[in-house]
Amino acid sequence: MTGVPLSAYLVLALVLFCIGLYGALTKRNAVIVLISIELMLNAANINLVAFSKFGVTPSITGQVFSLFTITIAAAEAAVGLAILMSLYRNRKTVNVDEMDIMKH
Amino acid sequence: MNVYLLSLLVFSPLLGILMISLMPKKEERTIKQFGFFGTLPPLILSFFLCSQYYSGVALSAFSIKVDWIRFGNLEMYDPKLFAVNYELGLDGLSLSFILLTTIVSSLAAMASIYIKQGWKGYYLLFLILEIGMLGVFTAENLILFFIFFEMTLVPAFFLIGRWGFLEREKASYYFLIYNGIGSAVLLVAILILFARTGTTNIAALTQMMTMGGVSLFAPISSSMKYGLCLAFLIAFAIKLPVFPFHSWMVRVHAEAHPSIVMVHAGVLLKIGAYGIIRFAMGIFPEQYESLALALVLMGVISFLYGAWLAMVQTDFKLVLAYSSISHMGIVMMGLGALNEAGLQGAVFQVISHGLIAALLFFLVGALYERTGSTMLPNLGGLARSMPVFSGFLLACGLASLGLPGMSGFISEFMVFLGLFKGQPLLAAIAVIGLIFTAIYILRAVMLMTFGKNDSLEEKEKRDIEGWELVPALVLLGLIIAIGVYPNLLGGPIQSTIEAVMLALGGR
Amino acid sequence: MMENAWLIPIFPLVTFLVLLLSGGRLRERGAYIGIIFTLASFVLSVLALVERLTAPTYKTTMDWLSIGGTQLTAGFEINQLNALMLVIVSFVSLLVQIYSLGYMKGEERFSTFYAYLGFFTFAMLGLVMAPNLVQLYFFWELVGVGSFLLIGFYFYRQEAKDAAKKAFIMTRIGDVGLLIGIILLFWETGSFEYEEIFQAVQAGVIPDGSITLIAILIFIGAVGKSGQFPLHTWLPDAMEGPTPVSALIHAATMVAAGVYLVATMFPLFLASDAAMQVVAVTGGFTAIFAASIATVQKDIKRVLAYSTISQLGFMMLALGTAGYVAGVFHLMTHAFFKALLFLAAGSVIHAIHTQDIERMGGLWGRLKWTGPLFLAGTLAISGFPLLSGFFSKDEILMAAWANGNYFLFSLAVITSFLTAFYMFRLFFMIFAGESRIQAEQVKESPAIMLLPMLVLGILAVVGGYIQTPWFGTFLGEWLVEGNEAVLGSGHSEGPVWIMLLAVLIALAGIFLAYMIYAKTKLPREWLVKKDSTLYRILENKFYIDEIYYFTIVQLIKGIGLFLSYVERFIIGGLVTTVTGSIEGLGKIGSKLQSGQVQQYGMIAFLGLAVLLVIFALTGGYLR
Repeated sequence: MTGVPLSAYLVLALVLFCIGLYGALTKRNAVIVLISIELMLNAANINLVAFSKFGVTPSITGQVFSLFTITIAAAEAAVGLAILMSLYRNRKTVNVDEMDIMKH
Repeated sequence: MNVYLLSLLVFSPLLGILMISLMPKKEERTIKQFGFFGTLPPLILSFFLCSQYYSGVALSAFSIKVDWIRFGNLEMYDPKLFAVNYELGLDGLSLSFILLTTIVSSLAAMASIYIKQGWKGYYLLFLILEIGMLGVFTAENLILFFIFFEMTLVPAFFLIGRWGFLEREKASYYFLIYNGIGSAVLLVAILILFARTGTTNIAALTQMMTMGGVSLFAPISSSMKYGLCLAFLIAFAIKLPVFPFHSWMVRVHAEAHPSIVMVHAGVLLKIGAYGIIRFAMGIFPEQYESLALALVLMGVISFLYGAWLAMVQTDFKLVLAYSSISHMGIVMMGLGALNEAGLQGAVFQVISHGLIAALLFFLVGALYERTGSTMLPNLGGLARSMPVFSGFLLACGLASLGLPGMSGFISEFMVFLGLFKGQPLLAAIAVIGLIFTAIYILRAVMLMTFGKNDSLEEKEKRDIEGWELVPALVLLGLIIAIGVYPNLLGGPIQSTIEAVMLALGGR
Repeated sequence: MMENAWLIPIFPLVTFLVLLLSGGRLRERGAYIGIIFTLASFVLSVLALVERLTAPTYKTTMDWLSIGGTQLTAGFEINQLNALMLVIVSFVSLLVQIYSLGYMKGEERFSTFYAYLGFFTFAMLGLVMAPNLVQLYFFWELVGVGSFLLIGFYFYRQEAKDAAKKAFIMTRIGDVGLLIGIILLFWETGSFEYEEIFQAVQAGVIPDGSITLIAILIFIGAVGKSGQFPLHTWLPDAMEGPTPVSALIHAATMVAAGVYLVATMFPLFLASDAAMQVVAVTGGFTAIFAASIATVQKDIKRVLAYSTISQLGFMMLALGTAGYVAGVFHLMTHAFFKALLFLAAGSVIHAIHTQDIERMGGLWGRLKWTGPLFLAGTLAISGFPLLSGFFSKDEILMAAWANGNYFLFSLAVITSFLTAFYMFRLFFMIFAGESRIQAEQVKESPAIMLLPMLVLGILAVVGGYIQTPWFGTFLGEWLVEGNEAVLGSGHSEGPVWIMLLAVLIALAGIFLAYMIYAKTKLPREWLVKKDSTLYRILENKFYIDEIYYFTIVQLIKGIGLFLSYVERFIIGGLVTTVTGSIEGLGKIGSKLQSGQVQQYGMIAFLGLAVLLVIFALTGGYLR
């Protein structure tokens, strides 16, 4: 069977991860930063699934883990957006640059 | 019984700690008594050890080794690898240091009667300090050594910072900063050794480095060994201390309470010399040998520099502080001489200075109690109002300047004997220091005791008496005993010195 | 008896300990303890000497300190020289202690004084019994401490305090030289024992240069102890101690230790011509130097002090010109007559309570015993014919002549003249002429003080007859017995005119002093004007003290001050720099703490990248 080779999955994941990393480190809008973080998590998920099929000992573990990650990522996004909302309410901004003080 | 004896010795001050911690804060008298009694178990045990040694029991019989911490999973190669065991052991050298520790601690605990407040905390910290000191001299591996080493730093920091004179807090920060840097360097060196060899056992390391034993890992290059040797030397040179690392010690001597300084000058500084002999010299003999000239140079500079500065001080405590630097310079010169006479002289000097400094600071404490001042211009004529005190002060001063019949002479004589063989030119420069020593000691002692004007107020005129005679007599007795019959101390340390010399090339 | 000789120094030590521990409670009774114990050591010393006259040298040792494979030993030895020294030391000490019973009467710290005397005697006896150099050095320093305690006995007096300190430090300078010499000798010969050292020296295993160096270093020790130029300045100042102490320290014991040291190490010195030359020249120069100062001093004890320095110079001169017997012989006679002179001077001071000889005079009739005894001592030291000093001085002149060093010989002759002159100047100024003191106040000293003086007086007169050109040279032959090859013969032969010259010189000196100070036929300024430069130089002892003060002392103080600035600013600055830079680092660190999460993330990412690169390059291990 001539399927898609492992390296293709990994390259896709790498590209996604780099985009995510770039976004998380450079974008000023907090919503974009959160989205970028989601991108990185999903890059990791692709890797997990890819290795669960093409790894040294293929098993279901990788897929199970990616399910966990998706769930947790959803929770994390919810919490993150909630914090963002309250920040916005208090500071009237979603700009990451301006969120450099812990206390109010 | 035998194998637990050392652990019992090291941790026996815990008994005192337990008793004191159960007591109410206000019970000054009881706390002081128990504080003193708390130092007795180690004293008795160390005497017992000593008697065992003289009755012919091999000191190795007291070694104890218990598995403790293990890193990694390398049992299949060698169960010794990456294991930090709880191992205590003893040889002639550490036995003499332990005796020094227990004796000086007990006497210092006695002298701590002069402490005016916070007795409970004081004695708790004091006894913890004693555990640390005893542990340092018995630890058989570097990690354990380091733990006990740090255990001396923390109580000492608080003891200096809380119960001293006016600038005590500054002094204790100096103490902390310098010793902190020293410990950091020491820790790095220990960890590198551990990572590279898989063991911290001193005997195993010595074997590995000197005999070229097999290591599982890549061999350590010689420049790495230089670096490690240097790291040990720096760490312990700060502790000793020698020029230019000395300024913390001057402050500590001047600002800490005299009974703390008794322990500090008497024992804590000696860890530096002990460490150099054990680690720098023992583990890296080849590298040590090529660094020896620098050590001698540092020793000579400290010896002369300390003596010179001691000549111009106006505070008796500062005279003693600089004199300690000067005397530690002698230790360094002996260690750098690279022969038996020098090394043995250095060990003698360490022990002898421990006793002499303890006695001198005890006298300072007794004096301060009466006069409230140790400034030389304020003092004078004490020979009339306090003849016994003055006698002790003079005797101790003479011991400090190396009068024959006292321990100081034996050590200075041997160090110079060794140094004239090893580095004749530097030795010839250094002997001038002997004259300076005489000058500053006599200047200080005579300013205090001679002269017409009596500095004491009428109500303060009481000589040292009663219990105060005990520390003075015990210490002076030991100083004279070693001075008159040096083989008393020479015997036990002989085997250790021979072993170290053998690794150095047996010269 | 000789195997029990170790008891000799122990007795005075026991005195010291007993009196010290009794803490002054014994008061005057302490003196009797001291005297009894010293008597015991004197008796033992005499017994040992008598036995040594016939028996061979006795030596015993035990292990004392092991350094690696080398064993240092401690023990004692009784040979000719130290048997003689034991008797001299214990005898003079005994007499001084008896004398002090009278002299120190009423002193508050009576038993302390005897304790110190005991300690000093112990150290000195230990010194002369030492069979090796380490032990010698051991007691050598203890002698220094003993003298320190005794000189500083009146601790509340500023002068006594300074004198004691000076004595200790000046002799310490010499001691350091001795210490280096001993150590170098050990590395050359591998031993501290006299015998082995001398064997090595004779076997010629030591290079010539080293022998000279070592011998000179050892001689520096002797220079310090024996008050030779340039380390002599402590000795006159040491007169601040009680007068009996001066008699003990400056006549028979401590200052003689230097001469004893050179005599003991004589084979070593003989092996180096240069070292012998140094000894002889130093001795000769010191002799005339100190004698010239003594001619103008006004303090009775200071005159005697400079006289002591001068006489010690004589002994060194003798030893340096290979006159072993002459040096030791003069050491012995000097011990008797100088002790006598000091005790007599003490008696004078005791009677009139001043030490200034310009305020004395006309005491001859008042002090019926002290006067003649003082005269006997003065005659003996001046080399008046048939008294002890005459024979020993004659022996020295012979030795110098026989050695062929005519310059030193003439120095010695001039010094003899000066000696006779200043001693009789002293004598006449005290005893002749008008009385300047109210008669009622002058009282002769008690019998307890006169008795020791009488004994010493007899010895000062007859002590020389054990070594004369006419009745045999018993002492000399006994001293060199079994060692003639090294030490030379027991007697130096020389032309007869030397003896005549010595007599004439002595008489000339006495006559001149008589004319100036007794008859006052010649004005006092006949020789030197009082306001002339020469007089001022002599009166101020060649300004040696001042020179030392303004050069060495100031230099040391200056450097000390300089170093304390170094300590404060450079070392202190170093510490401030370290703490400052750590603080600065912290400040930079807190600036990095910007709150910009993205920045943190970037740094973390870069750090990871660097770590990965290192890992890729090294494989994870530092080499």
